[in-house]
Order: sequence, then C-alpha cells, then structure tokens
Amino acid sequence: MSTLAVHPAPMTRQLGLLLQWQFRRMSQFLPLLVVVQILLAVTTVLGYGLLVGTPPPEQALYLATGASTVTLVMVGLVMTPQLVAQARTEGSLDWMRTLPVPRPVFLGADLALWTLIALPGMVLGVVAGVLKFHVDLSISPWLPVAALVVSLTSACVGYAIACLLPPQLAQLVSQVLVFVVLLFSPVSYPASRLPDWLATVHQWLPIQPMAEAMRASLVSDTFTMPLRSTIVLGVWCVAGIAAATWSLRRRA
Amino acid sequence: MDDVLVIAGLRKRYGKAPKGVQANDGVDLRIGAGQVVGLLGHNGAGKTTLVNQVVGLALPDEGSITLAGIDAIARPDEARKLASVQAQANVPITGLTPRRAIDLVGRLRGGKRADVARRTEHLLDALELGPWADVTAEKVSGGVARLTAFAMAAVAPGALVVLDEPTNDVDPVRRRLLWAEIRRIADEGAAVLLVTHNVREAETVVDRVTILDHGRVLADETPAALIEFSGHQGLEDVYIELVGSGEHAADSAEESVA
Repeated sequence: MSTLAVHPAPMTRQLGLLLQWQFRRMSQFLPLLVVVQILLAVTTVLGYGLLVGTPPPEQALYLATGASTVTLVMVGLVMTPQLVAQARTEGSLDWMRTLPVPRPVFLGADLALWTLIALPGMVLGVVAGVLKFHVDLSISPWLPVAALVVSLTSACVGYAIACLLPPQLAQLVSQVLVFVVLLFSPVSYPASRLPDWLATVHQWLPIQPMAEAMRASLVSDTFTMPLRSTIVLGVWCVAGIAAATWSLRRRA
Repeated sequence: MDDVLVIAGLRKRYGKAPKGVQANDGVDLRIGAGQVVGLLGHNGAGKTTLVNQVVGLALPDEGSITLAGIDAIARPDEARKLASVQAQANVPITGLTPRRAIDLVGRLRGGKRADVARRTEHLLDALELGPWADVTAEKVSGGVARLTAFAMAAVAPGALVVLDEPTNDVDPVRRRLLWAEIRRIADEGAAVLLVTHNVREAETVVDRVTILDHGRVLADETPAALIEFSGHQGLEDVYIELVGSGEHAADSAEESVA
C-alpha cells in the first residue's frame, strides 16, 4: 500500500464503517441501554396511570402516546449529551474528528445508532399505553417520518449542547432536562394545564410540537398536527442539524 | 526533497492577555517526504497545540500551514485526508479488538479491504501484538493499547503521520520495534512529525529535531549538528541545556517586565 495515496472511502461506506465502530464500542452496554429505554417508556405509562387512576378518553390518549415521545426525546436530549460529553472528556471525540470523514457522516452514524436504541422503547411504550388505557390507535403513514424528525431534532440539539458546553455542565443540563421533559412539558397532558407563562414558552420550544407530531401520527383520527407546530419543529430540526454540524466543525 | 509540511509564523493564544497562554509564538517548521522530525519540549511548550492546528482541531491566530501543497487552515477537511494522527490521549476502543480497530480505521481512511488486512497483519507482526490481536481491548494492557493506537495511525498513513507521545506505557522491547516501524513509515515516503519526551531513544530515529520552549522554536537541527555544536555526549543533554536556559531566559524576561 502506498503511504501517500489515501483517498477516503465513499460516504456510504464510511457511514457503515462508523456505525460498525460505534456499535462494537457500545456492544457491552447496548442491550442495557435498550432495556433502560424500554423500562422508561413502560414505567412512564404505568406511573402516570397510578397518578391519574382511570382517565377520561382524551386524557387516556395523551398518556398512551406520551411515552413514545418521552423515549425519543430522552435518548436525544439526555443520553446523547451524556455520551458525547464522555467522549469529549476521554479524548476520543477529538481523535475521531481527525479522521477524513465528513462531519455529516459522523452525525448520521451517531443519530442512526441513537434512533435504533430508542426504537424498541418507543414501540413498547405505545403497546403498554394501549393495553393500560384501552385506547384505539389510528396509525398514520407519517409515523416513521414523525419519529425520525423527533429523534433527529432532539439528538441534534443534545449533540450541540454536549459539544458547546463544558462536559460537566452538559451532563448537568441533561439531568435537568429529565425533569423538564417528564413533568413540565405538555407531552402526556394538554398544554392548557400549564401556567400561561410556561405554555407560552412551550410554544417556542420543540418538545410540545414533538409530542403533537407523535400524537397526530399515532391517533390520526383524533389529533392533527397544527401548522404552527410543524413550522416550529421544522425550524428546530434544521437549526439542530446546523448547530450539531457546526459544533463538529468548530476549531478551538 | 519535497516538503510535505510547511509551517510559517504560527501563533496561537488561548485566553486573553495578561492571563491567557501564548501556546505557539511564531513557530516555523518544515518536514520533507521521508523525514522524521522530532518535536521536543517541556510540558506546556505548545507541542500538542501545534499538532491540533495541523489537523484542524484548533484555529491559528496567525501564520500558515501548508500540507502537501494544500492550505491546511483554509481547507482542514482536505488536510485530514493527507494526515493520520496518533493522539496524545489513548483512544478508548472498548468492545473492539486491536485487529478490528486497526482494520476499521484503515478502511475508514480509504484502504481497500485486502490491502488493509495485509497492512494490519504486518503491523501486528512488526510490533509483536499477535497474542493480543484478537483480545477485546478491555483485557489488554496500556502498552498494547498504545501500540494499537500507533497502528491505527500507521495502517493507511497518508502524506503526513503525526505521532503524539507514541512510546508512553510501551515496554522497552516493543519500544525498539516501534521506533523501527516509525522509521519504516518515513522510508516508505511519508513525513513523520514525532512529539516525544523520550529524547534519548528518539535520537536514533529522527532526521531533525525541533525544540519548542514557551511556544517558540529554540532549535531546529539534525541531532548530530546539535550534539557537535553543544559539545555534549547526547541529544538529551543538549535538550536539557537548551530548555533549561530557555526557561531561565523566560523567567528573566518576566522579571524584567515586572
């Protein structure tokens, strides 16, 4: 092999190789991470069920569909910053950044991995919700797109948090986000229950549109995705991808 | 000899004056194809900052970096295609075996599967890593992990190979094998920038030595020339004298400013 003739592999092959690298690196913890996400989704449904008893039909639909959003958002906004902050601390992120791999390919490999980790929890959360609250779903063909956009947006925002904040602060922010997402976001209940100021804040944050997108995809005969929420989610998605890519390209 | 890496007037400061650190303060450096240049200097002399700027992890304040004719500051993505790096910190490869890690990096860098497999086998043999080649990384020693990191940089090396402290944690026998392999990479045509504190052993491998002190180049010469000029027995003595006097000079300068 000539030492000078280095022509990086095509992007699709690099994506496959990076995925292989990341999968093998996480192979020990991967089953555990998937199990934790499943537990999170299922216990969100069961826990809220204990809190509210037997809910009226519309509230039951919120609870049954909320767990899937919570799982996707948690993986993106909580787990992603923690794993990226760890990679920064141990120096592996910087070394990976010296490889001749386009930054979107790095992002693509990580996002694919995190979406796959979240997927079983998302599905089983919905199943648990349907069984617990006896609701009927009407699944829209847009569901895969909605799940992908929610996963992509939350992971990109999480990625940017992890790359732009000092590692310890990023870990702390991700811990705070657990409470914000689980308790103070209109995911498993309607926004009308929030204090006015918090409801206004959520009109500009991505979590409420994410929940609306998942609800409208899972129970399409009852819920619709408001245009405003589509735009807010779209802007967050594009901004998240841009911020994550920029943070990977950034030079100290 | 064709210059592979040309650095001119490189300045990089972290933080604002007066509290910040002037990590590189007008560094000039050239490495030709087939050359091993040793970059020596005390902790905090600016060696890793220099390396980070070459591979696009840090942005210089001033100066130029040309890598195989390409402006590495304006086009860091192109520079990364031309340079392979062994980082100062060990890259964790938990879950991978040394063979798998070397192979994956070789293919990521664009090597063909058969070529990479052959080269991986050669490196495992040359560094006597055979018994650990297929053992998962969590069960190998720090030295084996360090050699694996070297092999990951050497498997598809590119025009420039940057090695930041490659001998850390490596036992004396394998250090000798490692030095031979570093020399071989250069003999096959790559330029090698070798950051090391292991001055005595590096002396046998490097073609030229650049000594950094407080971000400035104190010396840039062949080991033989440095030894001859100084009248010392070996490069390590020359290094200690130069860096020692450099620190003294810097301290004196600070005192006079104060």
